[in-house]
Amino acid sequence: MVGSVDLETKTVTTVALLGPDYRRFSFELLCEVGDEVKAGVALMRDARRPKVRLVAPAAGRISRVERGARRKLLSLQIDVDDSLGVARYEAPSDNEGSVLRSFMFESGAWSSLRTRPFGNIPHPDAEPAAIFVTALDTAPFAPDPRPIIDAWFDEFKAAVYTLEKISAAPVYLCHAPDHPLAIEDSDRVRKVAFSGGDSAGLPGVHINALCPIGFAGGEVWHIGYQDVIALGHLLLRGTPWLQRVISIAGSAVKNPRSLLVPPGADIDELLVDELTDSPNRIIAGAPIYGRAPAPGQEFLAAGQRQITIQARSADETEIPPETAGVLIPGDRLEQVAPPGIYPVPLMRALQLGDAERARELGALELVEEDVAPLTHACISNNDYGLLLRNVLDQLEAGR
Amino acid sequence: MSAFSAAAGGQRRIRKIQLLALLPVSIAAVVNCGYQYLSVLAADPGRASDDLRSNLAAGLGASYQEPGFYDWIAAGLAHFLPMLLLALVIGGFWERIIAAQRKRALESGFIPIALLLTLMLPGSAPFSHIVYGMSFAILLGKGIFGGDGKTFISPALLGVAIVQVSFPSAAVQHPLWQGLAGYSGSDAIARFHRGGEAALGEAGIDLWSAFIGNISGTLGTTSLLAVGLGAALLLSARIIAWRLLLAQFIGLAVVATLFNLSGSAEGAAAMPAYWHLLLGSFAFGAVFIACDPFASCCTTPGRWIQGFLIGALVVLIRVANSTHPDAVIPAMLLASITAPLIDHAVIAWNIRQRGRRHV
Repeated sequence: MVGSVDLETKTVTTVALLGPDYRRFSFELLCEVGDEVKAGVALMRDARRPKVRLVAPAAGRISRVERGARRKLLSLQIDVDDSLGVARYEAPSDNEGSVLRSFMFESGAWSSLRTRPFGNIPHPDAEPAAIFVTALDTAPFAPDPRPIIDAWFDEFKAAVYTLEKISAAPVYLCHAPDHPLAIEDSDRVRKVAFSGGDSAGLPGVHINALCPIGFAGGEVWHIGYQDVIALGHLLLRGTPWLQRVISIAGSAVKNPRSLLVPPGADIDELLVDELTDSPNRIIAGAPIYGRAPAPGQEFLAAGQRQITIQARSADETEIPPETAGVLIPGDRLEQVAPPGIYPVPLMRALQLGDAERARELGALELVEEDVAPLTHACISNNDYGLLLRNVLDQLEAGR
Repeated sequence: MSAFSAAAGGQRRIRKIQLLALLPVSIAAVVNCGYQYLSVLAADPGRASDDLRSNLAAGLGASYQEPGFYDWIAAGLAHFLPMLLLALVIGGFWERIIAAQRKRALESGFIPIALLLTLMLPGSAPFSHIVYGMSFAILLGKGIFGGDGKTFISPALLGVAIVQVSFPSAAVQHPLWQGLAGYSGSDAIARFHRGGEAALGEAGIDLWSAFIGNISGTLGTTSLLAVGLGAALLLSARIIAWRLLLAQFIGLAVVATLFNLSGSAEGAAAMPAYWHLLLGSFAFGAVFIACDPFASCCTTPGRWIQGFLIGALVVLIRVANSTHPDAVIPAMLLASITAPLIDHAVIAWNIRQRGRRHV
């Protein structure tokens, strides 16, 4: 029953929770700097929705709490000390939805669910129209989810059945065609295979195909396969899953491979002895979809499955000399656009910050990662991820 | 993300590819213009006039007696280069004024516009027409809308269209639009209008000569081969939308065939689709004008609709209006103007669909 894959394990001395991973979360600390905590103990809760908690990714001493503008939490760092032990959570014997939800609030597992539209942690009382389990990963250099899910299949399965019970909505298991999951289809749990290009593994694509977002004001939830395993681990064993599988890859990596690492691990520590000497740039995530971690945020983000490190020539400046070009409409944009979206009108609306127009054109279906390929393909130097988030913030405020 | 965009500097790259794609048509223009000019001179040496281009051709040593490749090129360059240089000077002049007025950097968009405008004029076009057309192209086609990337009609198309409507007599009776001034009878489509395929044969036009572009016509538009090479480059670089291009050919073929099948097919109505494609400037316009990314639809269904509309309009105007034998310029103007409307309808449909969802 103990899941395992044949992967090298890397340990680090510092892990962190990153504030920006939890949008719309008003952080209320339940601990102080200097406290020694077990892994899995609640560290923070949402002041507006106190049931929603974030737990310690590892045992250790809380070494730093960094805050930014308007005292917004940027990161909470922990000096790892495994001897402090692991928090235990009693898995509910009852199969009732509210009991299972409470278990997810307590253990912090709730915080790995995300809503669409907006990409927030769902409200504790919300009812989704569907729950999407993303059991494939098509991003370049991403770790292969198949052996990981197979190795922790009991956990995966237990968590899927729990997700089925926390709401009345169908649970869509989105998987790769060559990875049929040994889970029975029922009217609530439905397996759907997705294939295609690099974007076939994006939740946005699955949602568009199975339960597209319109203007009715509802929401769907999605969760990544490793977070599903983590939930299953809590259910079956009562303790948090203190590992994540990530890949390190890119032209500046000596030995690209997948690794077992602690969640929230310090990226710099993970990369010790892994890189070539050339100047490089680090991207949290896949080459097109990820972005450079902000200064002071060089830790694995929630749900992050890969680090890409590309070599760059020494004279390459980070800001290209040509700024603010024009948006040139063309086939290339259609090719990388999220399904069902007309890219050029949407990009123009985003550039203008026209939230109402962007909403009509499908902005509610999207989050940053969905429009990242547009940023890459457009020569105008606009970051459509940032522009989209501005628009989403306006739309969210108006709800 | 954007800071590392692989497409950084992409605008310059796209401009380079656009100009490179116009290279085959420019070469074909030079060679064919020289060939046509020297052929006419050989038939009637007395028609050599005393203007800059003829003198330049003579000065470069282009001989009409047993002309060879050098003679064609020399005579062609003598026509092509002064026109292009003039268009560039006029375009650069207005761009500089606009840049100074708006306190912005000089835009380079006038370079492909000058080249396109030159290629859409006959080798005999009066210099005054180039000044006039280019001024309108830059000022009205581009400047007042805010410059590169903010246009809604291809500026070169607007420039040529302005010349055509301002000098209709030159466009219809004067052989301005029919090859070299005074030398060539009328253009190939007008010939077909009058006498069908037989009339083409009399003028020495067969499928092959029309394909390689060895016929009289406006400078850059005669060679389907050269246009095809340019199109291949633009398509492989994904600068133009293949659906828009294909839809134009489909529209042309469908409507031309419908006219062929209609009972009383005569004149251009009897012209088969392949002649529609080979003669006149349809192919050139379809690739270099209609597929201008800023002046065409930006949604995929819109591209299919607009492309079909262009192809259909070209045939319709050719058949219905013999004073516009080529029909490409009015057809593309009309289609450009409808592009925002088509996009609007497509987007409205998309929004409606989205509104029907239950989440």
